[in-house]
Amino acid sequence: MYKGREGQWAFLLHRLSGIAILAYLLIHVFSIGSFIFGERFYMAIHETYDWPIFRIGLVFITAGVVYHAFNGLRIIVMDFTGAGVAYQRQMWYGVMAVTVVSGLYAAWTLLPRLLGGY
Amino acid sequence: MTQMQHETSTAPAAAKQALPMLHIKIKILRFDPEKDRKAHWETYAIEAQAGDRVLDVINEVKWYHDHSLTFRRSCMHGICGSDAMLINGRNRLACKTLVRDVAKDGGTITIEPIRGLKVEKDLLVDMEPFFDSYKAIMPYFINESPAPAAERIQSEEEAERMAHSSNCILCACCTTSCPIFWVNGSYLGPASIVQAHRFIFDSRDEATQQRLNIMNQNTGVWRCRTAYNCTEACPRDIPITQLIEEVKRAVMYQQA
Repeated sequence: MYKGREGQWAFLLHRLSGIAILAYLLIHVFSIGSFIFGERFYMAIHETYDWPIFRIGLVFITAGVVYHAFNGLRIIVMDFTGAGVAYQRQMWYGVMAVTVVSGLYAAWTLLPRLLGGY
Repeated sequence: MTQMQHETSTAPAAAKQALPMLHIKIKILRFDPEKDRKAHWETYAIEAQAGDRVLDVINEVKWYHDHSLTFRRSCMHGICGSDAMLINGRNRLACKTLVRDVAKDGGTITIEPIRGLKVEKDLLVDMEPFFDSYKAIMPYFINESPAPAAERIQSEEEAERMAHSSNCILCACCTTSCPIFWVNGSYLGPASIVQAHRFIFDSRDEATQQRLNIMNQNTGVWRCRTAYNCTEACPRDIPITQLIEEVKRAVMYQQA
């Protein structure tokens, strides 16, 4: 792995969170839309969302959305101002702080579901 | 840390004694197209001084351990830009990197060819795609208006505008550290954009629009995703990402 610094990891996380959000959206649209095939079909899909991987995934998708949004703001600032490039590292640590805090908040609010399911 | 203590303890006697030697391992990614199907690591035990350059160490390997080791170097003073290598996971010039900055006594220095370009042999890569990208941005002064009797005058501020970008030595450290370039070789790359910047922001040059149009193509400046590896890698300390962002803005405001 190339030993890049903050900028490289910011870029990589932005890509990964983008892919995760896209995948979430596609699954979301499909599973909600599956109601046109009837309630049994709809419920069969939704019961799989009780699997632990989907429960934990909720926390990560929250963190992913927050990261992608705030890092997007960081990129806009960098693209439009010279100061944005100069302070990109500090801004990235800010983005990471916001991401971790919201991830923890999501985990706290979702705690009953994470532990007990529906 | 041990190395520092070692040095301070011998400091008074340093005038009489030779400098302490570090025992280091040099791990090089070797590839011989006539024998190998895949690149493989080879390790050489070397003695070096803390102030030696990594290039000295590689020369030691070539001269006294394995003559077949192949790499480029020319001026050995960080000007010709021949010896860009991936040293301890980062692109650097072997002649501008000191042993003490990458290894301690008993440590290992790993050396790989720069990424994203085809490896011809060992640390030597095919630079043609890199120079094709360089040529694509028309890296020469264009001014069709008749030359004045004396010089083409430039103010200090105007010269300052292109001061950073004219420092480039085309070593390819930046382009081959770019994650976008690794997966998409058609991206012109940071080095070419820096060169374009040098002419776009040259007050005497008249082909600004043409170069901005080249930068606006899908192989141009918009491929940059600001990973900052280029800026970290540049041995000439050019703030590459900042220059690329300036070109992006110039392209954008040109169209507005």
